[in-house]
Amino acid sequence: MLPHLDTLYRVALRLTRSPADADDLVQETMLKAYRGFDGFTPGTNAKGWLLTILRHAFINEYRRRSRRPETMDLDTAEAIAAFPEEGLADPRERFFDQIVDEALLRAVDELPEAFREAVVLSDIEGLNYQETARVLGVPVGTVKSRLFRGRRLLKGRLYRYAVEMGYVKKDGT
Amino acid sequence: MNCQEALEHLYEFLDRELTPDDERRVREHLTACPPCDDRFDVEQAFLRFVEARCRVQGAPPELRRRILQDLFGA
Repeated sequence: MLPHLDTLYRVALRLTRSPADADDLVQETMLKAYRGFDGFTPGTNAKGWLLTILRHAFINEYRRRSRRPETMDLDTAEAIAAFPEEGLADPRERFFDQIVDEALLRAVDELPEAFREAVVLSDIEGLNYQETARVLGVPVGTVKSRLFRGRRLLKGRLYRYAVEMGYVKKDGT
Repeated sequence: MNCQEALEHLYEFLDRELTPDDERRVREHLTACPPCDDRFDVEQAFLRFVEARCRVQGAPPELRRRILQDLFGA
């Protein structure tokens, strides 16, 4: 089970947004998994099973503590999320290079939770749609739509960051 | 397949979630349509960037030690 520890920790950190809570959440997840090992079906996806335990523990015990007020409602967020793709056509590698890890992680952490967990499981940890849907307990179609909206928001925030830092001009050049 | 249809399949294509048939149809469109090909490239670069940069961090060694201690008394 320890091979999935890095994944569990990263997901815990993005959900709780607190290193101390992430430590506790992962420790608790591993204990629950170890004790409840009979709930695991050999041959099925161990990573998905562990992530499901982690997410339930997060919702039941950590979510209230880690909740931050959403800085904007979802519709407003989406309206400003437009990402001028064409403006990045040429220096696109440079655009991404200039964004520091801390800014990227902050942008991920600022996503509304429903989008954040889909993006974290799929885009960072590489779960496919079906696996992500199983961990989140939602249909595959919901995963697709949350990924679409989450990615859009994330790009919008990174773009705004790049504009603020002067990496790109407002018109995307 | 036209540009609109290709864009509708953008993420399923990049996420490798299309049937082989649909994947081939998107690929054919991208070969024939440089603007779409470019748009797909930008998205792919974005997804690779997010994955690569967000996966750098792993579990702290101290946490690993605590868990091994918990589980196996090691």
